[in-house]
Amino acid sequence: MTADVDAPALAVERLSKRYGPVEVLRGVSFDVARGEVVGLVGANGAGKSTLIKILSGAVAASAGQVRIAGAVTNPATVRQAARAGVQTVHQEIGAGVIPGATVAENLTLDSLAPGGALWRSRRRTRAAAREIAAAAGLGADLEAVLDRPIEELPTSERQQVVIARALSARPRLLVLDEPTATLSTRESERVLASVGRMAAAGVAVLYVSHRLAEIERICERVVVLRDGVVQRDVPAPFVARALAEAMLGGTLSTLRHEIRGGGSPVLEARGVRARPDGAPFDLVVRAGEVVGITGLVGSGQTELLEQLYGARRLLGGTLSLRGRPYAPQSPADAVRAGVGLVAESRAEQIVPTWSVRRHVTLPRVRAHSRFGLMDPRLERATARRTLGDFGVVGPGADAELGDLSGGNQQKVLVGRWFDGHSTLVLLDEPFRGVDVGARADIAAHLRERAHDIGLVVASSDPAEILQVADRVVVMADGGVSGELRADQMTTEELSRLLTTPARHSRTTDARENRRAFGLETT
Amino acid sequence: MTTVQDQGLVSAPAATGTARRLGALGGLAYRYGLLAVLLGLLVVFSLARSRFHTWDNTLIILQSVSIVAVVALGVTVSMTVGGFDLSVGANVGFVVMVTAQVMVRYNLTGATAILAGLAAGLLVAAVNTLLIVVARVPDLVASLGTMFAFQGLALIITSGQSVSVGMDLGGGRVAPGRYDPDFLWFGTAKVLSIPVAVLVMIVIAAVVIVFLTYSRWGRALYAIGGNPVAARLAGIPVNRYRALAYVISGLCAACAGILLSARLGRGDVGAGDVYLLQAVAATLIGFAVLGANRPNPFGTLVGAVFLGVLINGLTMLNVPYYTQTFVQGALLVAALLLSYAVAPRSRRAS
Ligand SMILES: Nc1ncnc2c1ncn2[C@@H]1O[C@H](COP(=O)(O)OP(=O)(O)OP(=O)(O)O)[C@@H](O)[C@H]1O
Ligand SMILES: [Mg+2]
Repeated sequence: MTADVDAPALAVERLSKRYGPVEVLRGVSFDVARGEVVGLVGANGAGKSTLIKILSGAVAASAGQVRIAGAVTNPATVRQAARAGVQTVHQEIGAGVIPGATVAENLTLDSLAPGGALWRSRRRTRAAAREIAAAAGLGADLEAVLDRPIEELPTSERQQVVIARALSARPRLLVLDEPTATLSTRESERVLASVGRMAAAGVAVLYVSHRLAEIERICERVVVLRDGVVQRDVPAPFVARALAEAMLGGTLSTLRHEIRGGGSPVLEARGVRARPDGAPFDLVVRAGEVVGITGLVGSGQTELLEQLYGARRLLGGTLSLRGRPYAPQSPADAVRAGVGLVAESRAEQIVPTWSVRRHVTLPRVRAHSRFGLMDPRLERATARRTLGDFGVVGPGADAELGDLSGGNQQKVLVGRWFDGHSTLVLLDEPFRGVDVGARADIAAHLRERAHDIGLVVASSDPAEILQVADRVVVMADGGVSGELRADQMTTEELSRLLTTPARHSRTTDARENRRAFGLETT
Repeated sequence: MTTVQDQGLVSAPAATGTARRLGALGGLAYRYGLLAVLLGLLVVFSLARSRFHTWDNTLIILQSVSIVAVVALGVTVSMTVGGFDLSVGANVGFVVMVTAQVMVRYNLTGATAILAGLAAGLLVAAVNTLLIVVARVPDLVASLGTMFAFQGLALIITSGQSVSVGMDLGGGRVAPGRYDPDFLWFGTAKVLSIPVAVLVMIVIAAVVIVFLTYSRWGRALYAIGGNPVAARLAGIPVNRYRALAYVISGLCAACAGILLSARLGRGDVGAGDVYLLQAVAATLIGFAVLGANRPNPFGTLVGAVFLGVLINGLTMLNVPYYTQTFVQGALLVAALLLSYAVAPRSRRAS
């Protein structure tokens, strides 16, 4: 059982996995050659992450085997997989970092494992960390934060630390599960470049993503998984559209939605700021329209939404909700007023070991109780309705939320605000980890619900925004650099606005813009 | 090259982590292990001493654990929000002193003493809330500070002496009051042959179980303990609920203090001190009951009864009293092992 140079770096052979009665993987077989980048795509719940957990030794297969460089290696533990040369970046980044430890310590974790040096000096740790960061093309970005606890870093930087660490272990096989889901375009580019370098150096790469454009760019072959079965195994070149249809098992609707103008204002924000140094601006959200907010990562979208939700102190200006003054001091105030937020980080919204049902009803415990006691029947009914409306596939309302696939968890967290009790729902990166088919479904569903409530969708991916929004607000440097009707947003105009700093005055009055666009007559 | 069969992977069980290694046995031990041991103990003690499984002895055991159980239920509530109330023992002692002082020194009624005792418990809770929720001092150190402060305060209000009927107040004066018989009723009387303290314990346990397990407030408390950020983002007023948890914990300790004062019939210095460790032990043993692996009031009750059975049985078997602390400690360690080592790990990749 020695490594065989001619054998593929990874051979998956008739791999199956069942959870109780459900068969999540059903006889999956494919290879990845040395130096080859293979894409693994599939709808939410297709079994991608499950397959990857088996490869990384986190979960045992029910049947079948895994060969690494020709040797049967069914890894039983994460360490065994690492010794066989498998490095994995899991979908939940919480799995890859040690909270409380500094960035430098997290980067150098592998040398802390048995076999590493006994004594570690801060200086040596930092030097090693610098080397690892530089190898991943992150040198300058991380230098300033090396000694900060990892949890203080924004999600995207944390993700990059995890990736850099995996790269540094000189793996034979590198497995990446949606590594760019939380990253900006520039950060994603860096990851893609690293993947290219690793492959050129002979590393086999298995790459999972819902961003088919990335798959098209870097993969030499793609394996399409549907319901735990390999549907296609095709070499490049491939067409994103055909891939999407193979993974969804149907045709993808290309119907563009009709742009709506919106009715009476739901939220009026006057003179608000996204960041202390940003220019103040106005934002009006009307019933019946979906307002999209886009901008480069760090341009202030999250900060703005959190202020509107009372999760962050309002930096200035005044808010009103359905014509009444609205000054939330906490998310509790916001929820009471009928405002909901789907936060940027999924992990921050999940209570470990809790069922889907409990997550769905958590913002509405009062509405689901009688004389103060929770009514499980009512809860289950709401949970089932949410699962149905948002097309959640998985083990059902009473399963642990953590047992759903990543994209399906996201659908639950979005869906729980659409129970008829919301006036305004703020969604921060709601399509993270959601497959292309489900994204279209959710977008359609949001638009359907928007007819009587206000919706704000923030995403750093303009394509996602275009799919759902009527009106697009572009943010830059903590201010608003412009506003467009969704059907008038061109690539050139968008890239101009993304990089235009907001003028330091009250430049954007939503109404004026709307008048300019002919959406408003008076 | 090996084949699929000799890899032994063909029918690996679906569970993961430690449970995978221990197989189904581990899962069973995790859920029912503690109850099985309790049952085994009951059988062994019953076989060894026929006196053990009498109704009278059952009541003796329940009475002996009633105060610990009430304190422990409060600790359980504080732990549901991810906190830890270390001040409960000091709280019990403080309430004992306050009630004794009210009746003996100031010659007031038993009802007044009860109100004063509850107010004293709320005062402790208020200090905890101020420190933990308002000043954001970590739970453990804050309630440790409160513990010290109120142990001291209990001494100050009685000038460092125990409070008993007819005690000397200095200057030739003698304390004018005595324990109100109505107050002593809580410590000595029986209703339908069941000691009042046991009834109080049952009522408080029922209320806490319903509150934590079925009410919307309990749901919110558990959400905070599970992930405070997630709870906040779902619109739960986290600080208000954390304060509520400490208030409930303080009130439970106050009730326990009243029961203890009524049982002792005097205000002993340091009377509450033993209750902290016992209550914490009962709560932690409760984690292992039915595989809850989190603070839960039913488990806490079982934990308290477990401790009582153990002490009662060992005493009947004439095991020297000085080994009892060790035996209780061993029980606690075993329960912790069940909760933490045998528990199926989170199924997520690590
Ligand atoms: N521990 C578990 N118990 C029961 N079912 C599970 C468990 N883990 C995963 N599943 C189910 O297995 C299926 C596949 O999940 P998996 O996470 O592999 O999907 P995925 O392809 O990665 O999807 P996504 O794109 O949403 O991340 C899902 O339906 C999920 O609900
Ligand atoms: Mg996944």
